[in-house]
Amino acid sequence: MGTRILAVEDDERIRTAVKLALEDEGWTVEEAASGEEAVTLFARQPPDVVLIDIMLPGIDGFDLCRTLRRTSDVPIVMVTARNDTHDVVAGLEAGADDYLTKPFAPKELSARIRALLRRVRPSAPGRERLVFGDLELIPEAGKVLRDSTEVHLTKTEFRLLCELAENPGKVLSREALLDKVWGYDYFGDGRLVDVHIRRLRTKIEADPAAPRHVVTVRGLGYRLET
Amino acid sequence: MSGRAVARAAASRVLAVLRRQSQRAVGFGLRRNVLLIFTLGSLTLSAFLAVTTYGLVRSNLTDQRDSSSRVAAYRNAQAVQNALQGEPATAELATRELQRLNVERPVIRYGGEWTGTGRFGFEAIPDSLQARVLEDLTPARMITNVGDETVLVVGIPLPELGGYFEFFSMEDDNRALSNVALSLFLAAVITTLLGVLLGAFAARRAVRPVAAAAQAAKAIAGGRLDTRLDDTQDPDLGVLASSFNDMASALQLRLERDARFASDVSHELRSPLMTLSASVEVMQARRNDLPERAQSALDLLSGDVARFQGLVEDLLEISRFDAGAIRLHLEDLLVIEFVRQAVAVSSTPSIAVAAHGRAERAVIRGDRRRLARVVANLIDNALAYGGGEPTVDVADGAPDEPALTHVRIAVEDHGPGVPVEERSIIFERFARGVGAGQRTGSEGAGLGLALVDEHVRMHGGRVWVDDRLDGKPGARFVIELMATEPE
Repeated sequence: MGTRILAVEDDERIRTAVKLALEDEGWTVEEAASGEEAVTLFARQPPDVVLIDIMLPGIDGFDLCRTLRRTSDVPIVMVTARNDTHDVVAGLEAGADDYLTKPFAPKELSARIRALLRRVRPSAPGRERLVFGDLELIPEAGKVLRDSTEVHLTKTEFRLLCELAENPGKVLSREALLDKVWGYDYFGDGRLVDVHIRRLRTKIEADPAAPRHVVTVRGLGYRLET
Repeated sequence: MSGRAVARAAASRVLAVLRRQSQRAVGFGLRRNVLLIFTLGSLTLSAFLAVTTYGLVRSNLTDQRDSSSRVAAYRNAQAVQNALQGEPATAELATRELQRLNVERPVIRYGGEWTGTGRFGFEAIPDSLQARVLEDLTPARMITNVGDETVLVVGIPLPELGGYFEFFSMEDDNRALSNVALSLFLAAVITTLLGVLLGAFAARRAVRPVAAAAQAAKAIAGGRLDTRLDDTQDPDLGVLASSFNDMASALQLRLERDARFASDVSHELRSPLMTLSASVEVMQARRNDLPERAQSALDLLSGDVARFQGLVEDLLEISRFDAGAIRLHLEDLLVIEFVRQAVAVSSTPSIAVAAHGRAERAVIRGDRRRLARVVANLIDNALAYGGGEPTVDVADGAPDEPALTHVRIAVEDHGPGVPVEERSIIFERFARGVGAGQRTGSEGAGLGLALVDEHVRMHGGRVWVDDRLDGKPGARFVIELMATEPE
């Protein structure tokens, strides 16, 4: 069976049109009209990518995102009504990997999904294990250990950590990370990187407020300390 | 007209009225009027008081002098009469008697003869007084001048003997009166000055609420729609303040409603647009299966769906501007790198970007996604109206300055150019100039340049349109932004 996408959207006409467009890419699309329905479908058979509209009746997109994140590292694309900071950052902090603002072209959506799918199978840094102080990275197994305990990262967070680990001690700019992890050009949204770095830190840093592994280099980008 | 433009127009109308009033009656006029009233009032009042006081003092003094002179004259006349009724009765004796009494300036008429000559002699007695005393036999008095001295002459008939006259000097009284006049004059001057000061103070107080209202109107015109006048206990000013605030609230409400309406409409349009664009894309994937006529129709449909989508995005963006909901994501950007990237994602990625002088190293602080839309909009505008591929260049905004302060990003086209009279309105929303046929083709949505203006202004820069630098026909759109040169 090919790639399966779960589209959560309460407007039936949009859902159908998006389904038609995504099926043209050769993907299988399942539809859910509400968050509750999405949770049921997800439990029955987890898809490869979830597309969530924030404005949903019942449990909203943010809650659905958080619910799915509790048990899964599936890539999630949020569809926001507005491009304002509140919705975007709230969506990313709820666990979304990427976002689109309505109205978007379906071509854009399929490009985002392809980038997320590519990310699920990361090009491994080539070495079997990388150690940075109390942090241990096993790219082949897709595992990260802190103090020998496994830390659970989403695929995007893992991919972000791998990119930084490939160039330890070197500053990577936001644009470089957007390009490598999300496949965005120069005009990608830097907030994607910032929010994901913040989430990554809460998982791998002893004190996320005073990070020792992933360090911010003001005005330039981020660096993984060796 | 958009909400913000309505706000600006309405507030500037209010401002114009206030300004006109302030020219006519308020700013200088009201102040001058109040000052004038206070000055004239205090001047009149103090002059009236001074004159009345002076009059009273003078009549008091005169009365006093009059009665004391009369008393003295009667007493002296009695002494003269006594002397003249005794034996021997000569004027000589009477005069000696008067000298004994220390009478200074007596004149006696006795037996058709006068005693006393010289300065205060009988020649100094007015004829009419002589007639009344000596012929009518009635006591009389008269004020007259002897030399430069003012004197009171009292005449008392001495029945069957003649008459007695005496001069009383009034110089003391005059001196006292002129002292009083001087003091009163000084007092009047001081009172008037105090009145002027009070008037100036009152005028300032009177104008203050008007000045506050003018300032508030200016603030509203400048976009701060929540500006209100302070509440006041004063019933007169209270009316001004409350009606001003009502007006401001009504204006704000209406603008917010307009802005919300535009935003709501755009939000509502997005759902059908999503369906449209996804469906069109599905059909585009099967374009080759369609008959030729259906293909043409599909091309039209997909072209206009894309245009519609762009328009709704622009509308949403502009309503965000009106709601003040735009927050810039500022970063340091190397201008030349940024412009090249922005051109690369625009509708004509093949345009080469030229840079001149220090501009090559210039760094601006800006929101790269928003500024990229500015560049893309200018390129789209040039493509729509300009005829052929535009050119883009980046130049030093002030080459004569010792340090780099500004950069200019310019897009030049080969179109007919923009007439001078349309150069300022072209950045207004849905502006369609006189040369509409030339500048507004089928792509003329008219929001692109308005968005450029809003974005650039939000970055503290400015945008304008000019003739091409090489003198050929065509427009040159220039964005000027603050820039620095890294060390």
